Amino acid sequence: MGDKSTPLLAVLQLLRKYNLKGTEDILRKEANLGDVEYENLDLPEVELANILTAHHTESDPYSYEFAYDSLKKFVENSLDVYKYELSTLLYPVFVHMYLILILYDHNEHAIKILEKFGPEQDEYYQDDLKRLCAVKNKDQVKGNELAEIYSSNKFQVQLSRDASTQLKRYLHEQKSSPIIINIIKNHIQIDVCDGPGRSHAQVKSTLGGLLGEASRNENRTKVYYGLLKEPDLQILPAQIEDEEEAEETPDKPKKKKAKKDNIFMKKPKSDPNAPPNDRIPLPDLKENDKVEKGKALREAAKRVQLGPECLPSICFYTLLNSGHTAICADICDDSTLLAVGFNNSTIKVWTLTTVRLRGMKSADKLQDIDREAGDVLVRMMEEKDRETCRTLFGHSGPVYKVSFDPFKTMLLSCSEDSTIRLWSLQCWTCIVVYRGHVWPVWDTRWSPHGHYFASGGHDRIARLWATDHHQPLRIFAGHLSDIDCIQFHPNSNYIATGSSDRTVRLWDCLTGTQVRIMTGHRSTPFTLAFSACGRWLASGGGAGEIQIWDLSSGLPSAAIPPASNSPIHALAFSRDGTILASGSLDSTIKLWDFAIISDENINEENGNAAPTQKEDKFLLRSYATKNSPIKSLHFTRRNLLLAVGSYDGSV
Amino acid sequence: MSDSELGYGSSFTVDSVKVIAESVGIGNLVDDAAKELADDVSYRLKIIVQDAMKFMQHSKRQKLSITDIDHALKVQNIEPQYGFIQPDSLPFRFASGGGRELHFIEEKDIDLSEILSAPPPKIPLDVSLRAHWLSVDGVQPTVPENPPPLSKEAQKLESVDPITKLSKPANKDAAGKPVCGKAARLKASESVHVKQLATHELSVEQQLYYKEITEACVGSDEGRRAEALQSLACDPGLHEMLPRMCTFISEGVKVNVVQNNLALLIYLMRMVKAMLDNQSLYLEKYLHELIPSVSTCIVARQLCMRPEVDNHWALRDFAARLMAQICKTFNTSTNNLQTRVTRLFSKALQCPSQTNNESGPSMVPSMKESEKTPLASLYGAVQGLAELGPEVVKVFILSRVRWLGERVEGALSGIGGADRLAAGNLKHQLLKVLAPVVRAHRQPPDLPDDYKREYGYLGPSLQQMVSKLRSSPTGGNAGGAVAVVTCTPPLLPSPSPAPGPSLAPAPAPAPSPSPASVTIQHTSQAHAKTIESVASRNVVITSSAPQSPAPSTPPPQKFVIVSSQQKNQVFTNTQPASSAGHIVMHSSQPTIVRSQNSVVVTSGPAGAAPPQKVVVVGVPPPAHQPHQPHQPHQPTAGVSQAPVSVVAKPVFARSGSAQQPPPELDDLSHLA
Repeated sequence: MGDKSTPLLAVLQLLRKYNLKGTEDILRKEANLGDVEYENLDLPEVELANILTAHHTESDPYSYEFAYDSLKKFVENSLDVYKYELSTLLYPVFVHMYLILILYDHNEHAIKILEKFGPEQDEYYQDDLKRLCAVKNKDQVKGNELAEIYSSNKFQVQLSRDASTQLKRYLHEQKSSPIIINIIKNHIQIDVCDGPGRSHAQVKSTLGGLLGEASRNENRTKVYYGLLKEPDLQILPAQIEDEEEAEETPDKPKKKKAKKDNIFMKKPKSDPNAPPNDRIPLPDLKENDKVEKGKALREAAKRVQLGPECLPSICFYTLLNSGHTAICADICDDSTLLAVGFNNSTIKVWTLTTVRLRGMKSADKLQDIDREAGDVLVRMMEEKDRETCRTLFGHSGPVYKVSFDPFKTMLLSCSEDSTIRLWSLQCWTCIVVYRGHVWPVWDTRWSPHGHYFASGGHDRIARLWATDHHQPLRIFAGHLSDIDCIQFHPNSNYIATGSSDRTVRLWDCLTGTQVRIMTGHRSTPFTLAFSACGRWLASGGGAGEIQIWDLSSGLPSAAIPPASNSPIHALAFSRDGTILASGSLDSTIKLWDFAIISDENINEENGNAAPTQKEDKFLLRSYATKNSPIKSLHFTRRNLLLAVGSYDGSV
Repeated sequence: MSDSELGYGSSFTVDSVKVIAESVGIGNLVDDAAKELADDVSYRLKIIVQDAMKFMQHSKRQKLSITDIDHALKVQNIEPQYGFIQPDSLPFRFASGGGRELHFIEEKDIDLSEILSAPPPKIPLDVSLRAHWLSVDGVQPTVPENPPPLSKEAQKLESVDPITKLSKPANKDAAGKPVCGKAARLKASESVHVKQLATHELSVEQQLYYKEITEACVGSDEGRRAEALQSLACDPGLHEMLPRMCTFISEGVKVNVVQNNLALLIYLMRMVKAMLDNQSLYLEKYLHELIPSVSTCIVARQLCMRPEVDNHWALRDFAARLMAQICKTFNTSTNNLQTRVTRLFSKALQCPSQTNNESGPSMVPSMKESEKTPLASLYGAVQGLAELGPEVVKVFILSRVRWLGERVEGALSGIGGADRLAAGNLKHQLLKVLAPVVRAHRQPPDLPDDYKREYGYLGPSLQQMVSKLRSSPTGGNAGGAVAVVTCTPPLLPSPSPAPGPSLAPAPAPAPSPSPASVTIQHTSQAHAKTIESVASRNVVITSSAPQSPAPSTPPPQKFVIVSSQQKNQVFTNTQPASSAGHIVMHSSQPTIVRSQNSVVVTSGPAGAAPPQKVVVVGVPPPAHQPHQPHQPHQPTAGVSQAPVSVVAKPVFARSGSAQQPPPELDDLSHLA
């Protein structure tokens, strides 16, 4: 099919679509297009529109430059109230001009316009532009990930009513040169909202997504971000604890008990934002799990209250001789085990305490054990095992994430080989291989209540699994690019995902729908963390910035600008939610005062001021290591910060 | 690729495509085809690299690796490239010719049999886990696992521009102590900004550390001292204690000079040495305390109780070396450190006749006073100048040699054992320092009368020395370059390296007070370079021995290193005409020396030589050492030579294990 006939074919297709038989026949005859071409008439809708709208300007590639220039002038000359909102239009218009020029074989003009106006686009779009400029002729447009995202989705722009009126007026004046009108009509979704125009800072805070801002309508659903009511654990064997304490320090128990009661008292208070406990079915706690939970609560009672005046101690675990082979690390909830996933497909589990890693006894020995015995769980383990480190083999590609289940009986891992594996920490073997992802799986996380887990990867789809099904329970589709990180909400009802399309989305596990889409990240988020109270979500980006999102509104509540260009791969909230720790590849750990961050936000909501950048105020302290990029951060139940990094001696 | 394209849409050039086509045997690729290919290949490569970036990011790395590319190919359903490994760096080479330029990666042919016969590579170390405290209640402890709290650059900046410290906002990045208490409250109130006095508060731990270290350094327990010095030389984060340490040293020197406590002075100098060696400390701010202390130890009139018996010369040598190290490290165009130090020493050498010519009235010491400059101080000044390089020697010592000679002569002929000894030492030192300079600076023939006329009393000895240098091993034989000699001066168990021109550029490890001294000179300028390289390597090796002091008094060592283009021949000093030796090493300790011709030398006291083209001369223990200051060298032990095959390994193994730590200055400690 010749290049020139493409528009003709498009017209034919359009005529057929509207069932204009007569005209179609005439055109066929006139253009000498036989029936042979029928099969070719399956151009995608958008491309069709592209071709048809751009057809008449095709002959004049020069007009694009003028058109963009005039739009720029219009934006610059408009009143400050509208200026910043309108300026968000420039980038999508620019990108589509480039694509249209490429599509019509005006390659030199496309490159020229890119070189002329590319550098003045916002910084966070530069990476996209660099990726886009690899596309240099129209055959490449079809296979290119980014070009397809742009041409098959509409770019979202939010304008106030007045600003959109201004824009309409301008476009009306430009009737003679319809390039911009066509682009805006076909590729840009303008979301008009009432109210005054937004300020520069306000506009800036939500910009940066691959396809612009999230429209407000998408974030209207109510999110139950409160925490679940804790199951009644009063029956737990608190006596043991008391006895212990009585032995150790006879005068303390009373005080401790009072404190503990406090913790139990707090929970039953019902939170209006909390989902009902049975909103999603959660597994019943086993006897053993209850003991664990009880332990956790008692530990929590001894927690150090952190704050700007009382910073946590940090224990740093350095992986020696690992070079670049160690990828990910996780520490289990009670901080006794450390798992590390390696480049060479193996997983290693270390014990961080003196407790050795015991395996289960062999089957015939297990038969001899009295199953009714109280200590059956202890008895079934091999006593002779003295290992402090165990290696798990099974994956056939780099292991990108390991995750301990809340009761530390199982371990999840996901890998480049597109599988997720479930390992038993009792027999130290792989129990299940979950297949379903097509491409590498970047991240997988347990639900805080166990049983469920979520995963996301290169195939742009997040999945919710339960350990007893080999198929996913839910599939969350919507991201435009890789899902790089995933995290369960503390109440297990929601899953947050962060993607290379620079959006963070929140999905409802019950309905499987997207309830929040949050834009404002300037680079790919690589790690997510929910605050202890469940209302805030922190995400750390590839350029080193940290964003704090308010789940109740879906708006960014604070942005911490990058201290260096190194990506942040670890975020952790202290157990009392006052401190946010971030670990970056530049080998530093930074502590942020989250109390101020969230306070600030509440104040701003009242005053309706824009979130401003007060990095100095938020930053409590920064700790550098000797060239050990941080892989993982973990607060123990007593608020001791554990960090894992692998020493890189090469630099 | 033009510059404008670098930002957006760079791509392969047509030329590269053609070159690549040629390399696979396609000779005449049409321009259009090449262009088409270039565009397509650029596009595909970009897509692959963009995908590979994702894998890199998810592997939490910041450096793209070959496996990332493989995985990116896999994601695109392309067969990965097997069998590529990633060395640390791939040098991108450039070649041009015939008007064409070419960048390429060198691919060497690999001999499989070589690989098969080679011993299996070492098994990589297993990953292990190590825990340390990065922070304790918000404060980063200064343990070796943590980076130094204030980087050397920051210390440097602070010493140059103290304002930066004040202007820094709240000092949050440096993980020091949290701002709390009164200071914080004051700050919060923002009433008046009073410039805070520099606080040098030390934490309890730091105070303890300071106490331990200082006690150990000057205490009597040699083992603890070694540990303390090690800690001073290696631990990061000592900068907060520096002011105190420096005051300790300077006060200590003041007191002990008065009390003539040689041992303590030596210990204090070793502390200075350790601090200078610490990579994380920047001492410039404290030089005003250190330099007077060190120079005191070089030129002081009296450093020990019994000058006729105690070896204070070693301390002077050592301190002179320290001074040279300080000058080398901290000399800048603004502080003119070296100039000032040189002036200090040259003032001590001021001879009556020159004072009038050279210096202004303010600097003129009265003739009488100058005449009375003790010989020990003269020795120190000579040594101090000698460490600063041959040029300094030439300008400041050579011009005063006549006067110095007179002093020596006077003292030698006089009565008083101490003076005579001092004069002997000074004479020896002068000859050692001057001979190479004179040799480089004078043309043969060396006539005793000329020397006598020019240099006075020292002339004849100097002439002997110079002619010995000229004639030694290679003599007039231009083919060989020579590096010779150290002679053991009387009463000096630890001979010091004399600065030959070739020693000056010796690399980083500062000359440690190792007794294995190497004196190197060259006869012919043409070969200066080769010698230099040999020499500097040798120096490195010999001084790389552990710093810990030896408890016993080890024997002195002598190395004679001779390198030449010709092949093996036996060489000893008694046969100066033998045209080309290689490396001759007289050693009663195992040591390694390496020349550019592949040579490894080792020798135990037994003088057992491994089979290699190296001559090893065993030297008898020091008791039998001929104490003849004017004869550079008289090996008495037998010489053995072995056939050519060079076996390197066992030597290294031996040298590693059998190394007896070289003695340091404190072999004098028994004198205390």
